[in-house]
Amino acid sequence: MRAESLYRALLYCYPAAFRQEYGGQMQLAFADQIAEARRTGSLLPRAVLWARAACDVLSIAPQEHCHVISQDLRYALRTMAAKPGFTAIAILSLALGIGANTAIFSLWNGVLHAPLPLVRDPGQLAMLTNPATAGMWHGRATGVRDWLTYPEFEQLRDHAANFSSMMASESFLDTWTARFPDSATEEVRGRLVSGGYFATLGVSPLRGRLFTAADDRGAAPYAVISYAFWQRRFDGRADILGKSFTLLSAVLTVVGITPSGFLGETVGQQPDLWIPLTMQPAVRPGEDLLHDAPPAKAMWLHVFGRLKPGVAPARAEAEANAVFQSGIESFYGAVASPDRRREYLDQRLKIRPGARGASETRSSFSTSLTVLMAAVGLLLLIACANLANLLLARGATRRSEIALRVSLGASRGRLVRQLLTESVLLAFIGGLTGFAVAYLLQVALARMIAESDRDFQMAFSLDLPLLAFTLAVTLGAALLFGLLPAWQVTRADASAALKEQVRGGSLGRMRWGRSLVSLQLALSLPLLVGAGLLVRTLFNLQHADLGFRADHLLLARVNFRQADYDNPRREALLRELSGELQRIPGVSAVSYSQTGLFTGGESTSTIEVEGYTPKPGEDRDSSTDVIGPGYFSTLAMRIAAGREILDSDRAATPRVCVVNTAFARRYFDRRNPIGMHVTSLGDERSVTYQVVGVAQDSRTDDLRSDVKPRFFVPATTPPSPTFLIRTTLPSAPLMTAVRRTIQRVDAALPVTSAASIEEQMAPLTAQDRATAQLAVAFGSVALLLAAIGLYGTLSYAIARRTGEIAVRIALGARPARVIAMILRETLALLAAGLISGAALAYAASRWVASRLYGVTPQDPLTLSLAIGLLLLVALCAAYLPARRASRLDPMAALRE
Amino acid sequence: MPESLLPLATAVFHILIALADRDRHGYSIMQDVAARTDGKMQLSAGTLYSSIRRMLEQGLIEELAQSPDPSSTDERRRYYRLTHLGRRAAAAEVERLTGLLQQARATGLVPGA
Repeated sequence: MRAESLYRALLYCYPAAFRQEYGGQMQLAFADQIAEARRTGSLLPRAVLWARAACDVLSIAPQEHCHVISQDLRYALRTMAAKPGFTAIAILSLALGIGANTAIFSLWNGVLHAPLPLVRDPGQLAMLTNPATAGMWHGRATGVRDWLTYPEFEQLRDHAANFSSMMASESFLDTWTARFPDSATEEVRGRLVSGGYFATLGVSPLRGRLFTAADDRGAAPYAVISYAFWQRRFDGRADILGKSFTLLSAVLTVVGITPSGFLGETVGQQPDLWIPLTMQPAVRPGEDLLHDAPPAKAMWLHVFGRLKPGVAPARAEAEANAVFQSGIESFYGAVASPDRRREYLDQRLKIRPGARGASETRSSFSTSLTVLMAAVGLLLLIACANLANLLLARGATRRSEIALRVSLGASRGRLVRQLLTESVLLAFIGGLTGFAVAYLLQVALARMIAESDRDFQMAFSLDLPLLAFTLAVTLGAALLFGLLPAWQVTRADASAALKEQVRGGSLGRMRWGRSLVSLQLALSLPLLVGAGLLVRTLFNLQHADLGFRADHLLLARVNFRQADYDNPRREALLRELSGELQRIPGVSAVSYSQTGLFTGGESTSTIEVEGYTPKPGEDRDSSTDVIGPGYFSTLAMRIAAGREILDSDRAATPRVCVVNTAFARRYFDRRNPIGMHVTSLGDERSVTYQVVGVAQDSRTDDLRSDVKPRFFVPATTPPSPTFLIRTTLPSAPLMTAVRRTIQRVDAALPVTSAASIEEQMAPLTAQDRATAQLAVAFGSVALLLAAIGLYGTLSYAIARRTGEIAVRIALGARPARVIAMILRETLALLAAGLISGAALAYAASRWVASRLYGVTPQDPLTLSLAIGLLLLVALCAAYLPARRASRLDPMAALRE
Repeated sequence: MPESLLPLATAVFHILIALADRDRHGYSIMQDVAARTDGKMQLSAGTLYSSIRRMLEQGLIEELAQSPDPSSTDERRRYYRLTHLGRRAAAAEVERLTGLLQQARATGLVPGA
């Protein structure tokens, strides 16, 4: 008896259909065999029987499962082939839904979450600098440090005992002109890194050697190149090792190649090469970034450490701060004033997890990518609701077939399984096609990101997290859109439900179909509202009042420091260049400034303002710029009071300055600023300026934040001025003439950037443009799917009530009345969807709030427009089947 | 086309042979196969019914609506009978095996009869 129940339990390993068909017979046969074995009196035959039963479970049961699955697949393929239109819509919408999810996930994961590729034990890495920033700062800093100086790094490396190793890298990617033996000059991108860079990251060379601590001692004229650069530039030739090339004035030897896929410490950037930090004087001439000369420090390095096993980050942070602060104290030891000393010493390090590396892009794209991730999630839900709806409608037409199979003894579980197999198959084909969509979308997205961060590079790679995500999304989608229809269609009272629907099948009766269409409309609305808000943001940003004329303007930056020019030479060149540029036909005015426009750079100065007492603890820094004569008139910035800076002001005493209205408001309140004095405090000497003018506020560094107080002083010898060239002709064609003029005046002067104001400003709105474009694309797909869903449901409903409509027409109902009746029913459906959709959009709009500009998240106009658009599309989708119904031939319809 | 089913799985061929002279139920097939092979071929219940399922689908055998043995005490047992296709398939398999045997003998791989 026990043996029989145990055997019965084993039978549950077989597919249900097989068990139901043959389980009883197998039990009988097994019982006979056991009885016979018992008669022998020996245990062995019984043991053999059980062993065989166990073998069956391991070999025959899986075979039977495969058989059932292959049967289901064949059945699914037949059904799919029979309805090619439906199959195409299903696969296409799934491919779009899954592909969009895969593409956004790939970036979302790659930019925001994935650890640095090919780095050993990334969890052990800690960052002593701010991962979200990149750049260089000359001067002094307060509070938590973003970057460190080279001597600070050396101290930490040598004295922080909680780290097994430590490395430093240039926080930004450098662009150099290099000349390889076999070619003309070319641009390469790379980073200066310390000797411990590769060892700390735990990466081994693919060929040759990487840098070591020895490269930190004295000149090390070497370079390590990336795999991508090796392949692209040298076709993977092995003989590149040991070859030398010229980079500016340095001659460097290629000593090693990093493995494929290694990026370094910054996500989204692929350097061509790495050079030891000790080579800085040769590859960044004109500045000394390896030594701190009081009172200024050159902060420009990211520092990573590998924590010793078992060391808590908090302990490492305390120790690192102790080392760091003792260094700061001895550095500022000579500063006399105790007040200033206290300010200078208010600096500390913060340790952050280093596993994901540094990335400026990460923080700026975090909101956009998360919002897009939510949007594509919604899109997939809409696609699923759409498919569920179409499957429901189609299932209804298959009821007779299904009823027949039930009467032939097929269990409900078996039928559900069969229908789900079809859903899973559809989803898989959709998912595979989705990869193609994902690839195209990801490449386009990466290009869009690169528009706002020109160093950004991220290849589409089919890694494990991506595959797992896509598989999960595919299966999830299959269940989402397949389960409900499968359950509904195979209901025991299916035939009863069918009859009921034929009799009185108004739209109202189709509970599930109606809910799904409402759901689709509800989910589409937040997408449309989001797209609307982002488009308006983009428009507002592109049409923001900058306070100056942002067209017909060229910007060209030259670098006197890199050329190693002294002050008299700089001054002479500034005059000559201004004059020559002015003579170019089509140029109406020329001026220059050290900060330039939208360069990302900024200068600040600690100030004292006449008659203004700072509150205790108030920040005494103000933004400042050194400018050439005619700066304001060249840019067409309005002077609200007084005058602008003139050529005669350069050498004049007393020195003069112009302040902006934000400055005047903050420091002079209701007093007249003209004639008042502003003092710029320096460590060695302070300079006092007399205010001669107030300029209208203008946006010259970013579009979103408030204009900061700023004062402008006449330039004497700026190290790297940007020429501002106002043109009367379209500016782009004049750029060549500008470059040629600078070349003619001084061929050795490096032009580090040259762009029209439009080009210069494009990166500022690139992210908004990309997000808005994607949101519009996703919103359109959602709208299209909602239209398909509504059209499908209505067509089906109308087909089901042909008889009723025919009777109405036969009794004299005019076509217009039939159409009106159907549209009225549709409106009820729409209302339900729109009300829940509006609630959803309202709740979701807070998410995008931080990306918006000049429009509130709950903007009523955008919401009304989105609702209007949805209504219009929905009514169009409903009109087609309604018109068809109104043209029924009643006699023919009733005869059927 | 019986040829399209060749070569037959060993279990399938044994079941065809067992059903050649009379209709049988599952356990009877198992017993017959064991007896004819001196216990060397023992079909397990799983192998047997998995083969039967496939043979029914292929039309090699059919299930009888009633027990052929009126004296049978157990009405739960299902009986199977060889179909015409089943016979042709068995014959084709025999022909295939014979040809194979002849080739083995002709090449001297095994001694001739």
